[in-house]
Amino acid sequence: MPTETNDLQYADVHRDVIRSIVETGPQYYIALGTAFGVTLLCFFFPWSYQLYYGIGAAGMNHPGVWGTYLASFIFWIGLSHSGTLLSCVLHLTHSTWRKAMYRSAEAMTLFSLMVAATFVMVHVGRPWFIHWALPYPNQMEMWPNFRSPLLFDVMAIGTYITGSSIFIYMGSIPDFAAVRDRTTGWRNNMYALLSMGWRGTDREWHRLHWAYTFLAVLIIPLAVSVHSIVSWDFAMSIVPALHQTIFAPYFVVGAIYSGTAGIVTVMFVLRKYMDFGQYITKVHFDNLGKLLLVLSLIWTYINGIELFTGWFSGASSEHEALRYKLFGYYAPLYWEMIAFCAVAPLLCISSRFRTSFVPMLILSIAINIGMYTERFLIVGTSLSRQYLPDAWGVYVPSLVEISIIVGSLALFVTLFLVFVKIVPSVSMYEVKETMDAPKPEPVASPEGSPA
Amino acid sequence: MSLLDRFTDGWRKYRKPGYYEEFDYHWAMTIDLDKCTGCEACVTACQAENNLPIVGEKAFAEGREMKWIRIERYWEGEYPDVKLRFIPMLCQQCDSAPCETVCPVSATYHNQDGLNTQIYNRCIGTRSCAVYCPYEVRYFNWNDHQWDAPLEQQLNPDVTVREKGVMEKCTFCIQRIRQAKDHAKDDGRRRVRDGEVQPACVQTCPANALVFGDRKDPNSQVSRSMNDPRAYRVLEELNTDPSVVYLKKVDAKG
Amino acid sequence: MPNIERRDFLKLVGAGSVGVGAGFYLRESIKHPMEHLIPHVVAPEDFSTGIDTWYNTVCSMCAAGCGISVRTREGRVKKIEGNPSHPVSQGRLCALGQAGPQVLYNPDRLTGPLMQTGERGSGAFAQITWDEGLSKVADRLDLLRAAERGNRVCLLSQGVRGHLAQLFERFVDQLGSERLLHYDFDHPHTLYAANQRFFGEQRLPYYDLKNTRYLLSFGADYLGSWISPVHHSLGFGHSRQGRPDVRGRFVQIEPRMSLSGAAADEWIAARPGTEGLLALAVAHHILSKGYYQGADRADWIAVLAGYTTTEVAAQTGVPAETIVRLADAFAQTQPSLAIGGGSAGNHSNGVDTLVAVNALNYLVGNLGKAGGLVFNPEPAGPTTHPHQASYRTMLEFVEDARRGNIEVLIVNGTNPVFTLPSAAGFAEALAEIPLIVSLSSFLDETTALADVILPSHTYLESWGDDFPEPGVGFPVGAVSQPVASPLYDTRATGDIILGLAQRLDMNDVLPWSSMEDCIKDGWRQIHERGGGDVRTESFESFWRAVLTAGVWGEETHRESTFTLDKSVIAGIGVQAPEFSGASDDYPFILHPYLSTTLHDGRAANLPWLQELPDPMTSVVYGSWVEMNPVTAKGLGLTEGDLVDIESPHGRIRAPVYVYPAIMPDVIAMPIGQGHAEYGRYARNRGVNPIEILSPQMEPQTGSLASSATRVKITATGRRAELVKTGGNSRDLGRNIVQTTGAGQHSANLNSIPITVIPS
Ligand SMILES: Nc1nc2c(c(=O)[nH]1)N[C@H]1C(S)=C(S)[C@@H](COP(=O)(O)OP(=O)(O)OC[C@H]3O[C@@H](n4cnc5c(=O)[nH]c(N)nc54)[C@H](O)[C@@H]3O)O[C@H]1N2
Ligand SMILES: Nc1nc2c(c(=O)[nH]1)N[C@H]1C(S)=C(S)[C@@H](COP(=O)(O)OP(=O)(O)OC[C@H]3O[C@@H](n4cnc5c(=O)[nH]c(N)nc54)[C@H](O)[C@@H]3O)O[C@H]1N2
Ligand code: SF4
Ligand code: SF4
Ligand code: SF4
Ligand code: SF4
Ligand code: SF4
Repeated sequence: MPTETNDLQYADVHRDVIRSIVETGPQYYIALGTAFGVTLLCFFFPWSYQLYYGIGAAGMNHPGVWGTYLASFIFWIGLSHSGTLLSCVLHLTHSTWRKAMYRSAEAMTLFSLMVAATFVMVHVGRPWFIHWALPYPNQMEMWPNFRSPLLFDVMAIGTYITGSSIFIYMGSIPDFAAVRDRTTGWRNNMYALLSMGWRGTDREWHRLHWAYTFLAVLIIPLAVSVHSIVSWDFAMSIVPALHQTIFAPYFVVGAIYSGTAGIVTVMFVLRKYMDFGQYITKVHFDNLGKLLLVLSLIWTYINGIELFTGWFSGASSEHEALRYKLFGYYAPLYWEMIAFCAVAPLLCISSRFRTSFVPMLILSIAINIGMYTERFLIVGTSLSRQYLPDAWGVYVPSLVEISIIVGSLALFVTLFLVFVKIVPSVSMYEVKETMDAPKPEPVASPEGSPA
Repeated sequence: MSLLDRFTDGWRKYRKPGYYEEFDYHWAMTIDLDKCTGCEACVTACQAENNLPIVGEKAFAEGREMKWIRIERYWEGEYPDVKLRFIPMLCQQCDSAPCETVCPVSATYHNQDGLNTQIYNRCIGTRSCAVYCPYEVRYFNWNDHQWDAPLEQQLNPDVTVREKGVMEKCTFCIQRIRQAKDHAKDDGRRRVRDGEVQPACVQTCPANALVFGDRKDPNSQVSRSMNDPRAYRVLEELNTDPSVVYLKKVDAKG
Repeated sequence: MPNIERRDFLKLVGAGSVGVGAGFYLRESIKHPMEHLIPHVVAPEDFSTGIDTWYNTVCSMCAAGCGISVRTREGRVKKIEGNPSHPVSQGRLCALGQAGPQVLYNPDRLTGPLMQTGERGSGAFAQITWDEGLSKVADRLDLLRAAERGNRVCLLSQGVRGHLAQLFERFVDQLGSERLLHYDFDHPHTLYAANQRFFGEQRLPYYDLKNTRYLLSFGADYLGSWISPVHHSLGFGHSRQGRPDVRGRFVQIEPRMSLSGAAADEWIAARPGTEGLLALAVAHHILSKGYYQGADRADWIAVLAGYTTTEVAAQTGVPAETIVRLADAFAQTQPSLAIGGGSAGNHSNGVDTLVAVNALNYLVGNLGKAGGLVFNPEPAGPTTHPHQASYRTMLEFVEDARRGNIEVLIVNGTNPVFTLPSAAGFAEALAEIPLIVSLSSFLDETTALADVILPSHTYLESWGDDFPEPGVGFPVGAVSQPVASPLYDTRATGDIILGLAQRLDMNDVLPWSSMEDCIKDGWRQIHERGGGDVRTESFESFWRAVLTAGVWGEETHRESTFTLDKSVIAGIGVQAPEFSGASDDYPFILHPYLSTTLHDGRAANLPWLQELPDPMTSVVYGSWVEMNPVTAKGLGLTEGDLVDIESPHGRIRAPVYVYPAIMPDVIAMPIGQGHAEYGRYARNRGVNPIEILSPQMEPQTGSLASSATRVKITATGRRAELVKTGGNSRDLGRNIVQTTGAGQHSANLNSIPITVIPS
């Protein structure tokens, strides 16, 4: 058990976490205001312009018909992994160190998925008809095309977003009840609704645990399937360098990789700015560091395989795609990606590095920059160099695109900031599970303590 | 038949050879590379027939031109033994079209005439069909286009003007096929005669390099042309089963 | 009935719903989408397409005179196709012809008569009425005529044929003027002169590409811009793959590969201006090998003595073996055909060169023979060339204008300010002319300097007729009829002239009330003369038949015998070409060529053509300068580097295009861009290489030796990315354009079996 939590009492956990919800300093409002402002300015404003003008507001062209919007979509989907997925795995393997961080990790999943979904809207030419991609009975007797990997995507992501939402919600019910019991006024009403009348009976706990474990088992394959299916959007095409069987594991590993790095970033922020130092500790960073190291090695291996199969094909189109990736127009980006995602994480071999907060933060950000680059390159380089050399071209993102990417980050932050004020961002009851039994408390909470 | 068999059978049904037997037509085109001079009359003809917009210099430079048929050019050798080869590239109307499988909303599909059709008003603009098409003949409307008045008076009333956000591509001039079918019906004929329908590009080609027709009719010009020993299909190895067949250029060296 | 608990019931309902849902999706997923889609690409049954009205008329975008069929809907022009009955176009059209609707519906058309209110070139115009405009011009003409200064009136037109040409002649004559000039940059003066010298007639023969088996082209871009591209392309296609067992071979000799060079089986780069020498070396070999056995053999041997293959090889840069090979193939493959023109005719030795090419046809017996060179009979109606103004004529005109001898200039459809080199001083000379009237439909560079603009209809709104030159072995006539009612307050050129004529009381020689009348009258004479397809009925039914068909042909062929005068043989010989500018100062020879898409610049105002990639380079919307990769490397230039191209007569700036098929000491530039006026699509785009051409002439015809200017190239250090479609211009062994050996009909070739399902 993390030693730092040892001197904590149950009541301290409640106090700390509920304080993070109820007590809001000006710092928070400034942060929220800034994030929301940037979202409006950098995300919604350019997007509105794009809706008015057409996708031409972005830099995409012929043959670069896909660009940063799709890259961002994959990136955010990727980031969503490791949140819920990691939480599930760790839950099933009874890793106690997960308990302090999983709530925010799961939130990350949810919000990344939401941002990813908005990128679908940003990406398509006529988002006002996006519902046509959903299978709903209609008088046109029109169904979506069930053969399309894009439709698999809609299904997979729809399922994933539903599953993750239920998972995070279910896991939060006891905590909602705890907050309900310690708040008054509208908050009390809201949490009363959210906690669905949770009383903390044995039967309730039993059912919660059962359902929670069931969902965890369900979500693991779902998460794996989601990014496999996202990869099929590419791999099922016959574009040189995209048409690869390795793509599904490549995407899944990449997703978990970037997701884990994302968790490190979020952990750092929570620790630093929400005073969760006692809950999120060196142990977490140490373990996440080990995970990052393993993931980076697998990722590097798959990258090597990808190059090898391209070379081994003996096809001119594959060779050119390979050459272009390594030495073409976007090559600096490729080498940046290698540096950030294959080389830098090797630092995690050192346990001193793993337990240093700031270096780990920097590494986690670098990995996600590298992973974003990876997604961009998958789209950008492959489309630039296809079968007919006369139709080759180069795509360069426009200002609108870059702004929307920045804005999407702000959107994510905004959602997260709202989240931490509504949902207890550290799972109180699970943290308590890891603590020593309570010493007799002189002051009991008025309506009885949960658990 | 087991459920699975029925399932896969239905799935594959219209990709199997012989699918078109139950229908009247299977349109096809041949392009004789030994005749094509690269003059691009076909490109302008298509532009005129199909309401293709002018995108302007800036958009063109950005790679956003709109040409349903383009002439690709490939240089061979070095000066003085140098050759320039032209190849007209348009939608190959693949019977096994990768662009169709990927469209999430079935805005592009194969009709009973063997045509890869594009339904503008169904398209949501994912552009995945353009990624999946190995011939790169799909063109996207990056924005709405303008016709400086009174240029819009030339617009073909039988062809939709496409709005921003939708994909478009060569249709084998489906409006002309439709008209020919109407005429055949008015004349009390069941079928359109060979040569009765000519897409704009075929009709104008000054070198007579393009032949269009129904490949179900073994005596049609296009059937005979497709059986020329010089016939080949571009990127044949991808198994897209195109309906556009090229006739090899004769390289009479020396 | 077993006891079902509430819970089990709910479970069953849940499972059932999921199952039904899954089954439903499964069923939907295996359906062919066409069972659901009734898209408007295939309109519903009860939606009937509208009815087209087709009119046959004549394309006026270049001088070839193709017949066209115009599709109209509710009075609006929708599409132009080739007229299948017209022997020149046979249902086909070139890109220029296709772009016709954009002439009619061009947003930059002149919409009514205008008068310059400011200084010339200021662009300040005021609207006037037709009456005012016509009166103003007629009054001035009347004054001059009364003062016996009619000769100070000049009608400067683009080349026109048919009864409009006749109208012009009579009108100018009535004014007492001899100044009827037809000026076109691309008029093949040297070709006419060479034919005059060799065949004794000022008329082009018919080049029977369709039936030839071997074509030697000296500089003539017959598929791109030379004389009648559509008809030549038809012939090319047929010769190549239209006959069983025979495939025509095509050889192109030119310093820079043109469209025809790319289509040819063999492209041979000969030094600019030495094409004639090469032709004579071929002739020399034909004689020395004894392929020619005519009575005048000795004369030929004498005159060709100096043109041995080895000597000429040194002068042309074409290896002697190649010359021998060409000569053998040319003589032994019958029928063969030699044609010459384009850059080969645009040198100081242009006429001699083209005479030498004619000699080749004579020596191997290609004259008057199918697949060779067929003589055309008299055209059925008036043609233009007697009045075609050469560069020298234009210089004389400029001189006259400077001296104040020109008082009224009427310009029709031609744009010499753009198509004459600045060295000619045309624009400056215009300043000395008191009244300039333009009949153009567009505000081009010349029209911008006019005092009065009386804008013409476009060809799709006017009556006219045409007698294509050259004919197709027999005379062809075609009537041009309005296919749309006039869009603006414009008038047909003929009607403007007739309007002036009426005001000037020329009714006895120009008795027609309208151009339609005039045309009809002319065709009445053709009908009376008899002949042609339609000969028996009344004139009215003949006229209707001609209008419906759009064309009328007279199946009369000329006798094919031809005897050559000895003096012609004696005059055969080609001098080395002369270039303007010293080769030390100006190391490169400038090869300007007519753009395949914009022609001589007349199509630069049509957006479709501005956006049509140049066939050879794929560049759009601009100018470029082509140079050999070795040259570019030597100068340290790559594609997109801006360079100055300087001749002794001017300097222009354009980006480099590295062109694999051009001689290292030649640089080439397309003509067509560089307009200062001419509407929004043309204005301020690229440069005009004509501007810097040296005033070098072919001495016999006085035509501009436009391929004889030397230039130097200086890098500016700046760049201008070319706008083009082409990505990579090499196919990297991907076998996209597949080829097969010459014996393609043999059985050892893998053929693709394509299943044809019997109906
Ligand atoms: N081809 C074609 N299509 C058109 C048009 C066209 O000009 N040509 N015009 C368009 C226009 S402008 C319009 S408004 C629509 C009109 O389209 P609809 O609304 O379909 O008009 P109708 O066919 O006139 O009438 C509909 C039905 O109402 C029934 N009806 C009549 N009176 C009553 C009543 O009191 N109660 C009830 N319950 N039913 C009644 C009639 O018998 C008829 O079956 O069509 C549009 N569609
Ligand atoms: N007997 C009978 N009478 C009816 C009805 C009925 O069902 N039966 N229905 C009623 C109803 S619901 C309606 S809406 C009215 C419709 O009555 P109207 O409005 O008169 O409709 P239309 O007669 O279809 O078309 C009017 C004219 O517009 C012209 N037009 C087409 N396009 C354009 C364009 O772009 N610009 C201009 N300026 N003109 C154009 C057409 O050529 C036509 O001449 O009729 C009403 N009257
Ligand atoms: S019109 Fe015919 S000859 Fe010209 S480029 Fe097109 S296919 Fe080739
Ligand atoms: S050529 Fe491309 S767009 Fe046309 S059917 Fe084939 S895959 Fe689809
Ligand atoms: S762009 Fe349109 S046609 Fe293409 S896949 Fe997307 S929705 Fe379908
Ligand atoms: S068939 Fe019709 S749509 Fe297709 S390229 Fe030719 S003209 Fe264009
Ligand atoms: S060659 Fe082209 S531009 Fe010239 S007349 Fe024929 S169609 Fe018109």
